[in-house]
Amino acid sequence: MSVFDGLKFRKVSSPIHNLDPRIKFVYVICIFVAAIMFKSIIPLAALFVMQLPFVFVAKVQKQWLRSMRGAAFLAAFIFIINIVTRFFSAGYVFTAFDIEEATAMTLRFIVLVESFSVFFLTTSPDHLGLALEQSKVPFEFAFAFTTAVRFVPVLAEEAQTIMDAQKARGLELEKGNLMKRIRNYIPVLIPLIVSAIRRSLELAEAMESRAWGACKKRTNLYALKLHRGDYILLALIIVILVAASYFFVFVSIPTVASFFGL
Amino acid sequence: MALIEIKNLSYTYPGASNPSIHDVSLKIEKGEFVLITGPSGCGKTTLCRCFNGLVPHFYQGEIKGEVTVSGINVLEKHTYDMAKHVGLVFQNPENQLFALSIEKDVAFGLENLGASREEMRKKVDWTLKQTGIYDIRERSPHEISGGQQQRVAIASVLAMEPDIIVLDEPTSFLDPLSAEKIFEVIYRLNKEQGITVILVEHRLDLTAKYTDHLIVMDKGAIRLEGDPRDILSNEETRLIGVGIPKATLLYQMLKKEGFNLGDKTPLSSDELADQLLEAYGQR
Repeated sequence: MSVFDGLKFRKVSSPIHNLDPRIKFVYVICIFVAAIMFKSIIPLAALFVMQLPFVFVAKVQKQWLRSMRGAAFLAAFIFIINIVTRFFSAGYVFTAFDIEEATAMTLRFIVLVESFSVFFLTTSPDHLGLALEQSKVPFEFAFAFTTAVRFVPVLAEEAQTIMDAQKARGLELEKGNLMKRIRNYIPVLIPLIVSAIRRSLELAEAMESRAWGACKKRTNLYALKLHRGDYILLALIIVILVAASYFFVFVSIPTVASFFGL
Repeated sequence: MALIEIKNLSYTYPGASNPSIHDVSLKIEKGEFVLITGPSGCGKTTLCRCFNGLVPHFYQGEIKGEVTVSGINVLEKHTYDMAKHVGLVFQNPENQLFALSIEKDVAFGLENLGASREEMRKKVDWTLKQTGIYDIRERSPHEISGGQQQRVAIASVLAMEPDIIVLDEPTSFLDPLSAEKIFEVIYRLNKEQGITVILVEHRLDLTAKYTDHLIVMDKGAIRLEGDPRDILSNEETRLIGVGIPKATLLYQMLKKEGFNLGDKTPLSSDELADQLLEAYGQR
């Protein structure tokens, strides 16, 4: 079951997890905007470091590192493309400035990935669903989202059962070339789809029996309320935006190379 | 007037050539604990779906006859109108829970009905306590056992405060111990809250003692109906394929051998033990 363990969501409580997901999302957008504004190393590095406290307070270092490692390949790719194109367009010469700018571009990508990963690592799906429900998204969509999350582990388990059953009947999943291997999964997919459809019918029945669609204005057991932490984060967002705009307009940001007199 | 009244009901699923239930008439009074049993495919599930209008509204198909529940003509109302009166609990607990926390699942029906938050809070807490799952209310459905999941399913219809709870083989996915717990919860709701219970079950060993109104169905029709003590000692019941409780069987065997255990047919091993002690009780 280890392959599917990552699909199960768990409720975790930490000051970061408990923040209002809507405010957290605004924060992600704010980091996003700030990262797009700058293209030199120092402010981008500052943005990168600024999010580390979130990771540690929420105690998601491990998962965070994993997501960063996942992004490393793309980051390296971005760096190389940047270097190569600069090398050719500048007339086959390397300058310290080019390397620095390529690094900054890579860093920008890393900051974007980082902020999104912090958001998704620290927001549980039920919080996210609640945020969707309470931000004027039609309830059908929010419901589809939470139900999907709910049934991912169920379907994963079922896929495992079907795989075992088909293997017991002599199906060899890891045999042949790529095309053959993909084709090997058809006897797993078809029963899985059929059972998912049957499941959805039962689900619909259960929903009907619990007054689905009884009244136009649906209410909600939970209300998202802003707490002290949310106001602090909101203040932080404003500070970041103001500071970023100030530096962007009034301060010419020194390059790292200039420190070394290059 | 009876709480549930069905008159000459026949129903055919779309695309089916034979009717699933044929000329069924039935009366259930308020506060009863009704047990419906019979071999697979005898129309028990279809009958359950008639109580809240899933048949015919959800399934379409051809229907004849009358269904009246709490004085409402089910055939003319939507399923969601019936949800306040009839709570339906299905076989597979996994497919009835769709929220990410148990509490939210229990509140689902009330949210749909547009209840206010305070009212919801009160009813949800009460329901969670009634079904003994208050302590796990913040867990997600995949973290709890099948028995607990089924209790959540019961809680989620109970929260809407229905007059009737219909349970369609609620324990077929559960082990005997969890099953017994479910039955106890249902029995308590019936006795203490006065909720009418309609239970579809094969395991009469565990459930026969709770009921005073047994219905045996076969081939889409009601074959026998009435006092479980009479019906379970009837030869016809055994021939239909109903699993007679072991205690009842043993009683019949002993009686045939000439042991006098009194006239009351026992429905559970406890009852039989008492009767044995009373008749031959020198220890």
